[in-house]
Amino acid sequence: MTELRELAKKLLAEGAAKVVIGWEEGPRGVRPAFATDAAAADRLVFDARCAHDLAPYLDRRRVHVAKLGRPAVVVKPCDARAVAGLIRETQVKREDVVLVGVRCGGVLADPEAGGTLSADTIADRCRTCDSRETALADHVVGTPVEPLAAPSRRDARVAELDAMTPAQRWAFWQGELARCTRCNACRQVCPLCYCDRCMADKTQPQWIESSPHGRGNLSWHLLRAIHLAGRCVDCGECERACPSGIPLGLITRKVASVVADRFGHKPGDDPAVPSPIGTWRSDDPQEFIL
Amino acid sequence: MMNATTISSSDLSGLAADLLAARVRVAGPARASDGTVEYRHAGAPAELVLDSGVPRRSLKEFFLPPTEPLFAWRTGAGGRVELLEAPLPADPAVVIGARPCDAAGIEALDKVMGWDYRDEPWFARREATTIVSLACAGFDRSCMCTSVGLAPDTTKGSDLLLVPIGGGAFRAEVVTAKGARLVAAYPARFRPASGEAEAEAFRKAAREKVAASAPPAADPLRPWLDAHFDHPLWREASLRCHGCGACAAVCPTCHCFDIVDEPETVGTGVRRRNWDTCQTPRFTIHASGHNPKNDQPARIRQRVLHKIVIYPKKFGEMLCTGCGRCSRACPGGMDLPEVLARIAALAGGAQ
Repeated sequence: MTELRELAKKLLAEGAAKVVIGWEEGPRGVRPAFATDAAAADRLVFDARCAHDLAPYLDRRRVHVAKLGRPAVVVKPCDARAVAGLIRETQVKREDVVLVGVRCGGVLADPEAGGTLSADTIADRCRTCDSRETALADHVVGTPVEPLAAPSRRDARVAELDAMTPAQRWAFWQGELARCTRCNACRQVCPLCYCDRCMADKTQPQWIESSPHGRGNLSWHLLRAIHLAGRCVDCGECERACPSGIPLGLITRKVASVVADRFGHKPGDDPAVPSPIGTWRSDDPQEFIL
Repeated sequence: MMNATTISSSDLSGLAADLLAARVRVAGPARASDGTVEYRHAGAPAELVLDSGVPRRSLKEFFLPPTEPLFAWRTGAGGRVELLEAPLPADPAVVIGARPCDAAGIEALDKVMGWDYRDEPWFARREATTIVSLACAGFDRSCMCTSVGLAPDTTKGSDLLLVPIGGGAFRAEVVTAKGARLVAAYPARFRPASGEAEAEAFRKAAREKVAASAPPAADPLRPWLDAHFDHPLWREASLRCHGCGACAAVCPTCHCFDIVDEPETVGTGVRRRNWDTCQTPRFTIHASGHNPKNDQPARIRQRVLHKIVIYPKKFGEMLCTGCGRCSRACPGGMDLPEVLARIAALAGGAQ
């Protein structure tokens, strides 16, 4: 913690960054913080409660954040993959942001409840994450951590869904998606959902019905799944943000496994590696194209 | 109307069974597939889990559903367009175990729903629904009903208020004629009033618990808010906001809606109204491309001012019931009690 705070203060004092975006203690556990001076930098924290992906704050549409000036962002390995995605897709220039990598052993499934990280309390997405620190960083802080051996309940659930008949799977998702009110939280917190005008907001023609009925919700969540195929960095923010508790991680995880299987691709923290959706190769599998 | 009666837990369950047998829809806190408690229609009394925390979303969706058809259209012979009104929802329903803050939100919304235009679907559901609330013991540090003129045992919006008196029983206070009718319709489920002292002790303890962590009263902040429209507070408070609208989705009083026309087949379609939120850029964008609320600070200010200044000025009551859901739901860690405490500190310093 001291290392992170000292680095933040140094970056601010030397003018390398005008704001250090990290985490601080808030009224309900930790939350995103925007440190612009030494006092605020001294309040920065990093521990297993820091589930929030801070990469969305690099979105150019967040003008009030951009106005603070050149940012330094504290990134876990998954957050660094998100920043890599933004650089890869020309949303952020590498030289415009200072990246402070934190060594990460995973975050808590329930960050607000706090407690220590264990095979029981670790978030599902962290059970299948093999990255403890990122190479996409100007500075790396924290002590090296060993991964926790914990079976992925999410993968088990995906396998259960795969084993269902299409009718059972349909019934499952109709039930889950019926809770969606289309508040857009999943989209807004997603670091890779940066479109200036989301297809779901277009009205002429209206590709995606905005009503939160079965048809509209299915269209929306399918659209989001496809647009994030091979791009989703598994930061878990969509599922964490959903005020209706929809298990969106099951969708992103399944799509990621299809992309890994068909294209041999897993989004990483090297912006130079193209994503399948952003490139074309003559040997791309295409047997699924009808 | 403030007579009281007593009901035991088993009779409350029995009341739910009686209602279901009489084909009255029963709703209340129940577990969703992920185990989280939300307000749901119950198929059996055992599904209701009373006093198991604050349900995920508020009660408003039973009166203003996330999506609702207003009418359908059909293009008939000669291109004549026929409109088919959606039937008014009039199924009798009883909500059992509503949080008082949620019931209060419904009554606050009656004002805007019946102002220049009487919202027929809203009032059809209001008239068909009896709300039995359960006095709250105070839930967590995001609770702030006492800061907005309410209390964990407020009767506002409730037809009947249940207050725990120990031993699994409740003192049931009759608040409205509708509540009295419910008691009169199922006399076998109710006993003579008792436990007044126990009920009073519960209410007092709950009020003290909430008041201990709640921010200062919001009412006196109005003059300061009026005078500081462009205060840097809004810019600072909104830095972490994602503009996601989760706060509005879970809010018992956020009621803005969008109206959309959705074609179903060639020549037919449905006009629907759907929940909307002032937290997205799309909410206020004009056809010209101009957007009067062009950044998140302006949108956060809008949400707070609408609740604490604008609605009270127009309708004489606060558009926040202090349920704390916005703080619990915010993925960015925004916290309304914290914002209000900050405003109170600024307002105190300015005087």
